[in-house]
Amino acid sequence: MSTEHALRTQGLSKLYRRTWALRDCTLALPTRRVVALVGPNGAGKTTLLRLIVGLIAPTDGTVQVFGQSPTTNTPQALSRIGFLAQDHPIYPRFTVADLLHFGRSCNLRFDQDLAERRLSHLDIPLHRKAGTLSGGQRAQVALALALAKRPDLLILDEPLSSLDPVARREFLQTLMVAVADDGITVLLSSHIVTELERVCDHLVVLNHGRVTLSGDIDMLLATHRLLVGPRATANLDHTPSVIEATHADRHTTLLVRDEGAPAAPGWQPHPVSLEDLVLAYLRRPDHRITAPARDVSEAPR
Amino acid sequence: MTWLTWRQHRAEALAAGLFVAALGAILLTLGLPMHSSYHDGIAVCFNGAFIDPAMCSTNMARFQQDFGYTTAVLTMLNVVPFAIGAFLGAPLLARELETGTWQLAWTQAVPRMRWLAVKLTALATLTVALTAAAAALTTWYRQPLDVLNSRFAPAGFDVEGLAPPAYALFAFALATAAGTLMRRSLPALAAALAAFVVVRVTVETALRPRFQPPVTLTRNRFEVTNDWVLDSGFADPNGHHLSRAEFEAVSDAADAANTNLTTYLHDHGVQGWISYQPAERFWAFQRIEAGIFLALAAILLAMVVWRVKRRAL
Repeated sequence: MSTEHALRTQGLSKLYRRTWALRDCTLALPTRRVVALVGPNGAGKTTLLRLIVGLIAPTDGTVQVFGQSPTTNTPQALSRIGFLAQDHPIYPRFTVADLLHFGRSCNLRFDQDLAERRLSHLDIPLHRKAGTLSGGQRAQVALALALAKRPDLLILDEPLSSLDPVARREFLQTLMVAVADDGITVLLSSHIVTELERVCDHLVVLNHGRVTLSGDIDMLLATHRLLVGPRATANLDHTPSVIEATHADRHTTLLVRDEGAPAAPGWQPHPVSLEDLVLAYLRRPDHRITAPARDVSEAPR
Repeated sequence: MTWLTWRQHRAEALAAGLFVAALGAILLTLGLPMHSSYHDGIAVCFNGAFIDPAMCSTNMARFQQDFGYTTAVLTMLNVVPFAIGAFLGAPLLARELETGTWQLAWTQAVPRMRWLAVKLTALATLTVALTAAAAALTTWYRQPLDVLNSRFAPAGFDVEGLAPPAYALFAFALATAAGTLMRRSLPALAAALAAFVVVRVTVETALRPRFQPPVTLTRNRFEVTNDWVLDSGFADPNGHHLSRAEFEAVSDAADAANTNLTTYLHDHGVQGWISYQPAERFWAFQRIEAGIFLALAAILLAMVVWRVKRRAL
């Protein structure tokens, strides 16, 4: 079973000094998806991604990438993972050609032709020093390096946050072409949902170090909806299917997770946008997030 | 990995290599005239053949006058082990942590322990090789001075033999460890310098004189040229070492008796004493000194390996 998932974590936790950066994270990501990891700054996204690629070791719990533990740090396990850290760090004093040489000499497989093709397509000269490239070009070089490893799972930490809108678009384009060509699984983090909506088909929401929502986006949008009705007076905080209740002067809007059951009389159902859905989960107070969220990707379709 | 290590550290490696080459050129330029002056005028005074004392003392005085600056040159060589070791060690991890590239380096297919092993081995070897070359040149340069003066002097012991490569490896380990903790090259370099100076001075002043129990002699006259004299003074006939106040009292008594001090001391059985480390202990002391710094370097490098291994970065 484990091989059917690109990534599985079980009770994954990371303690930094006295604060839990990640708490009891249980996840299963199917293969061949583009997964968005969304959460506010400080939610634990970077910690989770570093745990997945084996850069840090968990305080508790396990993580498996294609059934192998990245914590063991074997060349085989490392080969299947491509990682692009935040701000796309590359050696600034290396030329682009040096960086390709680096990739070739430090990997079991490295598709130099592929990388060179991608870079020449983007008009990035090989003789340029990496430190003199623009932010967008650096990101593209780092992406080309990560993709040339031909990883099965590509992890990108806030790949768009330091890029201007044009560079963002180009970056996502390159990424999507690679996904279409190679059929890799991609996990990318962001604190902005809208820019990921077009490219991602699976969503993981992380807040205060915990996973609050995880599932295929289509499934999440199908199982959640807004119900608009007369202003409610009852305290709905303890109704499990109500994710969030917003009260206006005369109306109450409920975000519910009810698998599409018929609405109660007097309530109008409306579809919910992905952004509103994510925001509702991010706004949930800490105490309501108790058990790890159910993974609806495994629910029957 | 070999290519990566070379590509990342070639600038420092070449700079350190050039530094040692320049140092060698300077030592050769200054050393050749000194060696020939020594061989022409002074060497004969020490080989037990016919000696003309007047010629020897004239030549030695001229030699001291001509080459009196050598102590200053040799004292400056004290910075070489730190310069080379810390220069190569500080950026090893600090630069990766500073620029975030540790995340790039450790997510390729080279396990981080192998990455660290290759880097530490390559740069530590270079550090030791370069400082050993510098120390060998200095040892050659000092040959005439080793005959004339004590090799235990700071301008000798600290810059020749086994000590400099051991200092350099210690500086390398210290700068690497500081870089791991502080995550920045320049502050790591500064912290390493401070710690290096403290440890070097402590070992030199507090430990080195006690590496082996010193020899104490009580006599009327001493002929020590190349031994390391730690302390000296006067002792009464019972062998009791006189304090400064006690000696003042003796000196006052001689004045009161209106006698020459030397005669007075002789008449009252007061003799001189010295406590010293014999010159032939030089290499034993070098081995102990090098051993201390190698052990410290090993502890620091083990700490670096441990931190990287348990990903406590």
